[in-house]
Amino acid sequence: MSLLQSLKNAVRQRSIHVCYVDTGSCNGCDIEVLACLSPRYDLEQYGIYVHNNPREADILLVIGGVTVQWQDKLRLVWDKIPEPKAAISIGNCPISGCVFSRPETLTRAPAKSYIPIAAEVPGCPPRPTEIINAILSVAPTVFRDWELKR
Amino acid sequence: MKKTVDVSIPLGPVHPIFKEPCRVKCETFGERVLSAEVELGYMKKGIERIMVGRPWQEVMFLAERVCGICSVIHNFVFIETMEKISDISVPPRAGYLRVLANELDRIQSHLIANFSYCYTIEHETLGMYLLNIRERAMDLLELLTGARVTCAYIVPGGVRFDPDGEDLEKIMTEIDKLETETRRYMHIFESGPLIGLRSRGIGVITSEQVKLIHAVGPTARASGVSEDMRSGHPVYKELGFSPVVRSEGDNFARVMIRFQEVLQSIEMIRHIVKTLPSGLIRGGGTVGRGHTTYSGEAPRGELKYRIKSDTHGRIQEISIQTPSIMNIEACARYMIPGVTSIADVTSTYISSDPCIACTER
Repeated sequence: MSLLQSLKNAVRQRSIHVCYVDTGSCNGCDIEVLACLSPRYDLEQYGIYVHNNPREADILLVIGGVTVQWQDKLRLVWDKIPEPKAAISIGNCPISGCVFSRPETLTRAPAKSYIPIAAEVPGCPPRPTEIINAILSVAPTVFRDWELKR
Repeated sequence: MKKTVDVSIPLGPVHPIFKEPCRVKCETFGERVLSAEVELGYMKKGIERIMVGRPWQEVMFLAERVCGICSVIHNFVFIETMEKISDISVPPRAGYLRVLANELDRIQSHLIANFSYCYTIEHETLGMYLLNIRERAMDLLELLTGARVTCAYIVPGGVRFDPDGEDLEKIMTEIDKLETETRRYMHIFESGPLIGLRSRGIGVITSEQVKLIHAVGPTARASGVSEDMRSGHPVYKELGFSPVVRSEGDNFARVMIRFQEVLQSIEMIRHIVKTLPSGLIRGGGTVGRGHTTYSGEAPRGELKYRIKSDTHGRIQEISIQTPSIMNIEACARYMIPGVTSIADVTSTYISSDPCIACTER
């Protein structure tokens, strides 16, 4: 492995920019993602920055059970993120639709039918520690030797 | 004809400031905003459609998931509506515990709203302080109900868990710490000169305009309209509740009123823990047939449920009126037009504490 590659690996693991997109959740997972920012959990000590801007992001947190309005737009947000990138779904909704998974619903779960999802964090809602844990465990495996894998 | 509108600037749906997708379209002349329009529809999940025809045991969990930030009040109002339909009485201890959970939820909701505002005006330090003390309220909520968000604590005829003496003691000590810190951060907000420049006199809505557009909750109370559904609730009456009202009607007043309500809730929680009656927490009863309307005060304003149920407690018709829709309209119609820069649009919008998830359901 070249020196440049090892440098890239080291840097990418310590600087992860996160964007979250709410595709029709109940807000419960949103506030748990926000709680990660608080000094108690302190997301930034791991080098994770929540920018909420797709063009700067490395990791996309997908929240919510993908409503009809979001069916085409989720892909557009995902395409705006520069490579290397990964998507993590937060909560039960992007996995199965959770309580909204009923015949009359206007949500169209799962999220992985629209964009590739690297990890899923189940829970209604998951705890902030679980969200941080997911980001920290997924990011290195996705970003490590990304150029070589390609 | 002279063209008065320079540019039409859309903010959103994915925007660094917004927690939830929503588009604010502003027509501007230079930096001054002439008119604004809020475009919704990105979050429609059809909860009311799902609820129809299902038993109350299932709808209870769906009602909580109308809004994750203020989940306790949705649970509270839905269950009290079902109790009103079926004439179920609540033991006094359970009534007090419900209010305790509700006020803890209100504290955390107001703190996250003020965090969002501080974050929007780029005062990140104060925002982080507020987010940190919010964790104390979340801990207490978890201690009482067993979950941080969507706790399903309230059931017809009572509540699910009974806190013991040790839990109540812990609530008292944590509440004391929470009060000291809230007072400190409230003072920082009140006396910060730059915060004042970004907040005072911006996004003003008068009490006449509030009455015209039917704004509710802290948005209405910040403009001098004393309107709080808690005043009519029997347990709150016992606690001697009276709404907090301010008269300025600007962004500053809306944030300050939330700080004052946090302190009021802390005082109420203290009163509840001191005078908590002993006895059962569940009285029992059967949910039956009926048709009624009931409202309660969510952190953002009046929340109203209209329910028709059948003999087995299945929901036949339901409609939910959530507070944010009126506040968002008030924001687009009266607060945002006239602000002097685009930066004030987001802060004014956030100051009315919009919750898109419960607006669209």
